[in-house]
Amino acid sequence: MVGPRWFVGFDSLMELVAVIIALAIAYQALKGYRLTKRRTLWYVHFSFAVLSAGLLIDSLLGFLGIVARTLRGTIGLTSIGYSIYFFAQLLAYSILTYAYVSQTRTFNATSSPVLLVSLFGFATLQAAPIRLLGPLVEYHPVSEIVLLLLVFYIATKTGTNYSSTKDQNAFLVFLAFLLLALSHLFFILQPISPLLFVIGHLLQLSGFVSFLAMLFRVNRNQ
Amino acid sequence: MRIYVDIMRVIQREENHAKPTRILYGANLSHDRLVKHVDELKALGVIEEVAEVDDRFYKLTQKGIEFLNQFRAVERFAAAFGFAI
Repeated sequence: MVGPRWFVGFDSLMELVAVIIALAIAYQALKGYRLTKRRTLWYVHFSFAVLSAGLLIDSLLGFLGIVARTLRGTIGLTSIGYSIYFFAQLLAYSILTYAYVSQTRTFNATSSPVLLVSLFGFATLQAAPIRLLGPLVEYHPVSEIVLLLLVFYIATKTGTNYSSTKDQNAFLVFLAFLLLALSHLFFILQPISPLLFVIGHLLQLSGFVSFLAMLFRVNRNQ
Repeated sequence: MRIYVDIMRVIQREENHAKPTRILYGANLSHDRLVKHVDELKALGVIEEVAEVDDRFYKLTQKGIEFLNQFRAVERFAAAFGFAI
């Protein structure tokens, strides 16, 4: 179990809220893809659909873990949940990264190092003292570093988009990914203090709330 | 898809009362392409032709207005992520 005892259950609840928002984003992207047949919108749809699935499983297993502990049956449910959520995030953010990279059409000086770092991070993950045949260690710094790098790249791309367009919706997306990146940073640091784990989850939820705000704005009729 | 939206936006800009020449210049089309795309849009039910005494003009149907609103939302959504459509 990670984080302070009093926070148990709240993290799963926050993730449940994030599931709904991620699903809404995925649905909006799917509507856009059906209308325009733009592949990038399909990537956004698939990424957020995978993200919501990972969040949902982690959240549900988190709740089940509470029940299991109550019944004195520690089955490591939260570790399984985190493992699934980690791989869901890895897939989702990798697809989004690819969406941004593919926009440039060529693998240039910026995108190659990012992909190399991601691969390196993943390779490091394999070499790290983590049980390969079992669930991952929850919020292991190496896992979170890999995710941080991916999300940070996406945040820089969306930040660049905002700086060139000055669009409020673009700012909200940039803010969302920035908050998600910060959440992973706090998850990396959570061994220092359990409170950092709480802050990490708050940042993660705030990121998704920013996505929700963007969704309301784009669907508002002018 | 893009050309359909351009035509529909010209009609909307003309306060839902767009003559063929306005669409021609507004959407940067040749006459043949204009005729082709306008017929396609009429078949989709998003615009309709209205005959006046000596002329005709085009207007968006309710379906057309809703489509443009949806497309606008998709544009804004994609632009928020930095993707062009």
